[in-house]
Amino acid sequence: MMTRLNLFLFTFTILSSHLLSASASDLILTKVDRRIDLSSQIVRTTTTLKVENTGSDIVSEILLSFPENHVNHLAHLTATLNEGRGKAKTSSGVGLPVEVVHPKGVPPKLTIYSVTLPKGLGKGDSLTLDVLAVFSHILKPFPEKITQADIQLLLFQESAYYISPYAVKVQSLTVKLPDARVESYTKLEDTKLQGSELKYGAYENLPPFSYLPIVIHFENNQPFAVAKELVREIEISHWGNVQITEHYNLVHGGAQSKGEFSRLDYQARPYVRGASAFRRLVAKLPPRAHSVYYRDEIGNISTSSLWGDSKKTELVIEPRYPIFGGWKTAFTIGYGLPLKDFLFGLDGKRFLNISFGSPINELVIDTLIVKVVLPEGSKDISASVPFPVKQRQETKFSHLDIAGRPVVVLEKNDAVPEHNEHFQVYYKFNCLSMLREPLMLISGFFFLFVASIVYMHADLSISKSSASYLAKIQWEEVQATVRQVHNIISRCLTTHDKLEASLHDLSRTGDVQACKATRKSVDSSLKELTKELKSPVAFLQSSPQAAQILPKVEEVIVKERDLQEKLMAKHSTVVDCYEKKLGGREIENRVALHHQKIAALRLEIDDIMDLIDEI
Amino acid sequence: MAPKAIASPIPDSLYPTLSIINLAIGLILTASFFIYEATSSRKTRSLAQELTTGAVASVFLGFGSLFLLLASGVYV
Repeated sequence: MMTRLNLFLFTFTILSSHLLSASASDLILTKVDRRIDLSSQIVRTTTTLKVENTGSDIVSEILLSFPENHVNHLAHLTATLNEGRGKAKTSSGVGLPVEVVHPKGVPPKLTIYSVTLPKGLGKGDSLTLDVLAVFSHILKPFPEKITQADIQLLLFQESAYYISPYAVKVQSLTVKLPDARVESYTKLEDTKLQGSELKYGAYENLPPFSYLPIVIHFENNQPFAVAKELVREIEISHWGNVQITEHYNLVHGGAQSKGEFSRLDYQARPYVRGASAFRRLVAKLPPRAHSVYYRDEIGNISTSSLWGDSKKTELVIEPRYPIFGGWKTAFTIGYGLPLKDFLFGLDGKRFLNISFGSPINELVIDTLIVKVVLPEGSKDISASVPFPVKQRQETKFSHLDIAGRPVVVLEKNDAVPEHNEHFQVYYKFNCLSMLREPLMLISGFFFLFVASIVYMHADLSISKSSASYLAKIQWEEVQATVRQVHNIISRCLTTHDKLEASLHDLSRTGDVQACKATRKSVDSSLKELTKELKSPVAFLQSSPQAAQILPKVEEVIVKERDLQEKLMAKHSTVVDCYEKKLGGREIENRVALHHQKIAALRLEIDDIMDLIDEI
Repeated sequence: MAPKAIASPIPDSLYPTLSIINLAIGLILTASFFIYEATSSRKTRSLAQELTTGAVASVFLGFGSLFLLLASGVYV
């Protein structure tokens, strides 16, 4: 280990001897404060640089340098201008553009990033820059394999001097360690260990590319949860929901576990015999999350708890077993979110505004794939992500789809919680497309109805000439004709009712003319009905199958005719009486006989009609 | 112009009620359709009436089942 480090240092010193001193030397760093946070698996380096331009040219970019062994693990780098002084300092939120450059004369073991300033730095001016660098997988477990009872020890290598292409006047380094034992650390002249803080410096007046390696060996039992792959699927439904499904493939990225695992030991003293393992994960979901579930490949894992307030929903999940170094687990969590919190409309376009990374605390993700599933019928899709990602589009088939839903796939390697920023997916959507799903359901049901109509209408018999088939057809015809007769008779009866009603009106108003007119129309319609009745009756008489039912039909026709005559007679009598202006009693006496007969006939006809109807 | 939030056209809380109402009407119409099919003979049946009852019933059943899916958490 140390040999390697020495070698590195050696190469470094050789390289540093013939350094660039051309363009960058106009700038000097008057003060550098570095804070390195080693309390979790993710290493965050916050550097405050006070830059001063001593040359005469205006400088518009500042170079930052990182050694090779750090750059390989660099997950996130932002530089922000720090304006104002003292406690009232405000970082101007928006990060400055940062890109890799390859200036001449720089040692090959260093990677240079260039920060472009919004406005050039004139002669004698100074500014303060905050640089946040986040590294994942940079803490190396040492020893690399531990048993269940061992604690996890980690190695961290850094330079006590800030490696910079500029000369540094004053600098200091503070390393924040977890509240645990520090096995060893490189002791230099100005090194102090206060509680869990290790301080190096201050060092003064160092030339460019000064380097002094330090190594810290310390205990850290924080969960080293590393997602080898996380697939987040965000599905938008315009019916009021954003469904998020996250498939985790998790591994403990710390020191590998060796030897056997004793559940008994672990159960008895979990914090001693299993200090390096983690047993639960905390996910911070957005507020108003509903229908939260947590399962792995073989079903539900019940050990999870959920609570929430107006600002967040907190989900604590426990895998089936404690995760030791190198152990893996795969699970899925899913939740629904209200649409109106995440979907917005602007200038005829819609956009989804949702956070990119995983909701789980302090999780390192090697490959993060975010899939945004848009509703069917979305057009002009574009995504805007605040950091570089690989983008592609695919199609997904889900409930009630024909053409499939467009999916925007965003892929990011080495994601850390700092990537949990909001991103936007813009698309155009016609509201009428929302009716696709109900229309599909409707057409499905309608097809069912049409199928049954076709079935009922289709003639499915095989032999069309057999006796039973012909008999069936004839019987059906007879049935239809009987129904026709029944129909005509009932129409006759309603016409009779009309006549009766006109008599009733007459007794109230005494309008003889109106009554006569009704009589005329009734007469003509009855005549027509009698004509209509002729052909079905003729058919029934000719059909042998109708032999049984024919007498009843004939009887009802005869009775109906009888009733008709009686009614006409009654009507004539009444109208006569009115014209002669006879008294009410007189009319009643004359009509009484008709009345009885009519009532009796009507009853009989109704009975027979019911009988026919049943056939 | 500030972006404005987009919500669903019908509030989520109405889905169960709408589902029950639509499905009830739809099922009643379906029942009347099949009663008509079973009681009328080939000669007396009217295609127009069959198709109308079927179409109206399928509209109600379609929307009813959509709201049933939405109410049970299957956001289509």
